[in-house]
Amino acid sequence: MSEAVLVAAVSPAKARNWRFRHVLLALNVAAVAAVSLLWWASTRFGWVAPIFLPAPGDVLHAARLTLANGDLLTDIAVSARRVFLGFVLAAVVAVPLGIVMGVWRPAKAIVDPFVSLLRPLPSITWIPLTILWLGIGEAQKVAIVFMGSWIYILLYTVESTRRVDPLLLRAARNLGATDFAIMREVILPGALPGIITGLKVTLAISWSCVLTAEMIAAQSGLGALIWQAKDWGNLPLVLVGMLCISLTVLVADWLMRLIERALLPWERNRSN
Amino acid sequence: MTKIFDTDRGRSLVAIQDVSLDVIEGEFLCLLGASGCGKSTMLSLFAGFLQPSSGHVMLRGQPITRIEPRCGMVFQSYALFPWKTVRGNVEFGPKMQGVGRSVRRATAQRFIDMVKLTGFENHYPAELSGGMQQRVTLARILAANPEVLLMDEPFAALDAMTRQIMQGELLRIHDASGKTTVFITHSIDEALILSDRIVVMSARPGRIKTILPNPLPSPRHVSVQLSPEYAALKAQVWQMVESDLLAHDETFRPNH
Repeated sequence: MSEAVLVAAVSPAKARNWRFRHVLLALNVAAVAAVSLLWWASTRFGWVAPIFLPAPGDVLHAARLTLANGDLLTDIAVSARRVFLGFVLAAVVAVPLGIVMGVWRPAKAIVDPFVSLLRPLPSITWIPLTILWLGIGEAQKVAIVFMGSWIYILLYTVESTRRVDPLLLRAARNLGATDFAIMREVILPGALPGIITGLKVTLAISWSCVLTAEMIAAQSGLGALIWQAKDWGNLPLVLVGMLCISLTVLVADWLMRLIERALLPWERNRSN
Repeated sequence: MTKIFDTDRGRSLVAIQDVSLDVIEGEFLCLLGASGCGKSTMLSLFAGFLQPSSGHVMLRGQPITRIEPRCGMVFQSYALFPWKTVRGNVEFGPKMQGVGRSVRRATAQRFIDMVKLTGFENHYPAELSGGMQQRVTLARILAANPEVLLMDEPFAALDAMTRQIMQGELLRIHDASGKTTVFITHSIDEALILSDRIVVMSARPGRIKTILPNPLPSPRHVSVQLSPEYAALKAQVWQMVESDLLAHDETFRPNH
């Protein structure tokens, strides 16, 4: 009985919510269409010179060309591989280290000074040293991604480990959990949502790292594509590269969200 | 037994002072008192979350020196593991005791059925109402099978009707399991309905004012509230608590 009453009360709200979401979606589409139209009109009617902003048609044409000869897909794949390697390496180092720092204060005391020193450094400042140590090959790009990513993953991991509700630790001990069981059953799952949020945020940062590295010294990758197109004065191709970065990061973000949903089944109905 | 807390500004706060209490095997004991009387501190001492500043807490002759799984705590704020389903939460105690998968599953099911959550085994706590979550904590602690049940105002956050139902279920469970239970409440009604003995506490510092045996017939039903003895008893307890509440009020008057 109580269930039936609950459902009856909830459904009109749900329907309203559903309609509202469609209105929002329509606003999304309309806003994009309006800005595209403005872009098209400003080039079509000569409000902006083509050397400052290429026409949408030229950008599409450049995209079709670079897609046809396979350059674009290769560059995306090369950049994605660098990001993936650097990001995974950073996660493999920073997540376990962050968990240890979160539960054991001496570890935090040892690592904290280095975090404070390294955190303010943008990854671009590592380019001279990494080139000296690793040359300008793949390892150097991966290293730049790693240096730009690991500290953020570490900070998110430490914070989320420390924020696991102490009441839950108490409850687990009261139910007979050992230190090891507390770690596996309470601290890890308790910190996981925060760690995954950290990984999501950091993934976008990792992308900006690889692009910086590729613009400064690389023969391939999306960053190199943009930089070379600039040198050739091919502005449409620059825009193609920029759009591709946005799209690739969106896809990466969407993949992360799928992983998040799979790993955190209890967070799915949080809003109810 | 005395417990003194050191506060931030270097001053100390006497939470409970010179308290001495024997809990009898199998009884349902209520700690009754206004806020600030140290009842939660007492329970935390029993569970081993805190250690007394002087004196000691003994369970069957052995002092409690660390968090004590033999004294199972039901928290006011549920303290369920959000990442575990109802079944996962209820299985936690047996799992920690090294009980095999199929046996602990059966144990969990028995207690889930007992608190009438059959069909909700695979739900996560966030998907349940407050009353249902409180029943999960009850099932979780019962499945862990501690020797003593400690309950810190477990029904305080529930609406009046759910609370009444839960009180009835707790009485039934206590009768069935015969477990020693120490229950904190600031509700005289709740103390009278549930307990075999009522420990009335006074505040600042927390002390035991008196220990009242509850003469109401047992096994009890929540309908006992309608009887004339009940009303008389309630008036008696109220008088004791009232003087304390008024005294307590004085301390808040700037100048008398």
